[in-house]
Amino acid sequence: MRLVARFANDNIENFEIIDIFEDKTVKTIVPKSNPVIKSITKKYPAAIWFERKIKDDFGIKFEGSFDERELVHHERFPKKVYPMRKNFDGKVEFCKFEPYEYEVIKGDGVFEVGVGPVHAGIIEPGHFQFSQEGENMLHLEVRHFYTYRAIEKMIEGKTPFEAIEIIEKISGIESIAYQAAYLDILSQSSKVELPMGVKKYNALLIELERVIHHINNLGFIPNDAGFAPALAFCSQKVEEVRRILKDITSHRFGFGAIRGNSVGFDKDKFLNFIESIEQDIKWFKDWIDDMPSLWDRFDTTGILRTKNALKYSCVGVVARASGLKTDMRNNEFYKKNGFKMQREKSGDVAARFNLRVNEVLNSCAMIKKFLDFDIEKIEFGDLHDGEYSSFVESSIGELYLYLKIKNGLVDRFFARDPSFINWQAIHLMMSGNIIADFPLINKSCDLSYAGNDL
Amino acid sequence: MLRFWKKRFDEGLKTEGLEVDNEIKKIKKDIKESIKKRFAGSLAVRMVDSGSCNACEAECNALSNPYYDLERLGIYFVASPRHADVLLVSGVNTFNMQDHLIEVYEQLPSPKWVITLGDCPFNLSSFDKTFAIKGEVEKILPVTHHIKGCPPEPSYIIKGFLEFLKKI
Repeated sequence: MRLVARFANDNIENFEIIDIFEDKTVKTIVPKSNPVIKSITKKYPAAIWFERKIKDDFGIKFEGSFDERELVHHERFPKKVYPMRKNFDGKVEFCKFEPYEYEVIKGDGVFEVGVGPVHAGIIEPGHFQFSQEGENMLHLEVRHFYTYRAIEKMIEGKTPFEAIEIIEKISGIESIAYQAAYLDILSQSSKVELPMGVKKYNALLIELERVIHHINNLGFIPNDAGFAPALAFCSQKVEEVRRILKDITSHRFGFGAIRGNSVGFDKDKFLNFIESIEQDIKWFKDWIDDMPSLWDRFDTTGILRTKNALKYSCVGVVARASGLKTDMRNNEFYKKNGFKMQREKSGDVAARFNLRVNEVLNSCAMIKKFLDFDIEKIEFGDLHDGEYSSFVESSIGELYLYLKIKNGLVDRFFARDPSFINWQAIHLMMSGNIIADFPLINKSCDLSYAGNDL
Repeated sequence: MLRFWKKRFDEGLKTEGLEVDNEIKKIKKDIKESIKKRFAGSLAVRMVDSGSCNACEAECNALSNPYYDLERLGIYFVASPRHADVLLVSGVNTFNMQDHLIEVYEQLPSPKWVITLGDCPFNLSSFDKTFAIKGEVEKILPVTHHIKGCPPEPSYIIKGFLEFLKKI
């Protein structure tokens, strides 16, 4: 049973811990007088970030937790301030700097390398602390939440419709997936089914976003192994798809694209374009397949074993490259439109590279099927109070959104980006590799920082 | 590799916006002296994300693709603030990033300039101010120029750089 998320609610009279598993939801009430609950990290190691986050946000303690350091609150964040409690006054001032203790391996000749939060490329902020034995990586601690904007708190008290514009900008490269998941929640809450035309239109855009993200990544992986022409080729294709996305949605990232209606466009031109992209990717695959020096870097680098992927509840590309069948598109609607589960076995950089190539081709095939959508529009009724959740397979992996509406306003919003889970498994890919392989491994997973930090 | 070069020659030059080249030629002529003195003929940019959604970063990466090829204009992104003339800041300036942002600015050798990129550092875009957002990069760094948009498209970023060059 896979862990999806663990988060808390402040119900004024008590706290509530909600555990979302693959096939069930467990709610536990925690009294405010003694906010302590048992940790589930022994069975689900990936619960540790969830629990540290709850501790920072609500001040709830976890019995038997192996790590009690702060997660979201950094060195200068005041102690004993719990922003997600309902009685939080909204004021936070800089405090005295208190150093963070990194998880490191100690020993003769073992040294540490700290990288970040500001990196050498054009990339989001995050910190990586390596324990090194010469060139070999012994351990890595990933430390994030530099882009923490407190979006969960920001949305509280707004009407569900007002929140859309914030939610679509949580993670720019997954914007369409976030919008689609949120639209699903809105339609559930107003008890109106999404019309098939809108469903297909949304699915088409989600797949287009995946094509962009995957092709971009297919360029960056060889680039990080020192082969720049691949990036030149792929970045050109990405630009072409972005322009098509702009033609359809009038935005290069699809901001504002998913609002419950399908929009018409020149389908013949679009079909020709998708076919040309398919040809280009096949050509690209042949070209890269012929580069033994690249495969020398890709093969057996950054292996995530199937049992570890399972243990750490991994999702998305990372899970499927390690042989797991984790894909939110594995349902009737997608299967009818040509979805085929793509999987690899070896769990290394090569597996994630090949998986992306195959997924782009499968996405293109699905896009062609989705093209027959009708122009329709959802008529939202009144939104009903209650708890709603939605799953969407974004370009990174399974995205989970939760919304609780009370008196017509947002009482609690929670988002679990696929990256939040996968970042916790990345240290498992390090053993047996040298530090120069890290960019390659990191890029092959291509996780989001902004979506993780919220 | 041969098939790559064949494709490369068959498809020809992809780079667009040659009129921008002419424009920068003109600007370069105008401020030739100052560019020579300040930038030795090229402008080095260091980008820092202070809490953006990654769309601005994606557009900056797009500047290097064959369609825009920013480096031909003599403007390029560098890996260290110590190599840079300009600090390009995107994002809302979060509580957790503010110290690091100031630290990066201090690492830039003088003379130095700050450009803000996208709506976030200017007016927080769609976000509301929370305890985790410090906002208003202007208040902590001397901002010379702002490139607006959410996110600004690559061609708009290039124009922004040109406007900045005219300003200084």
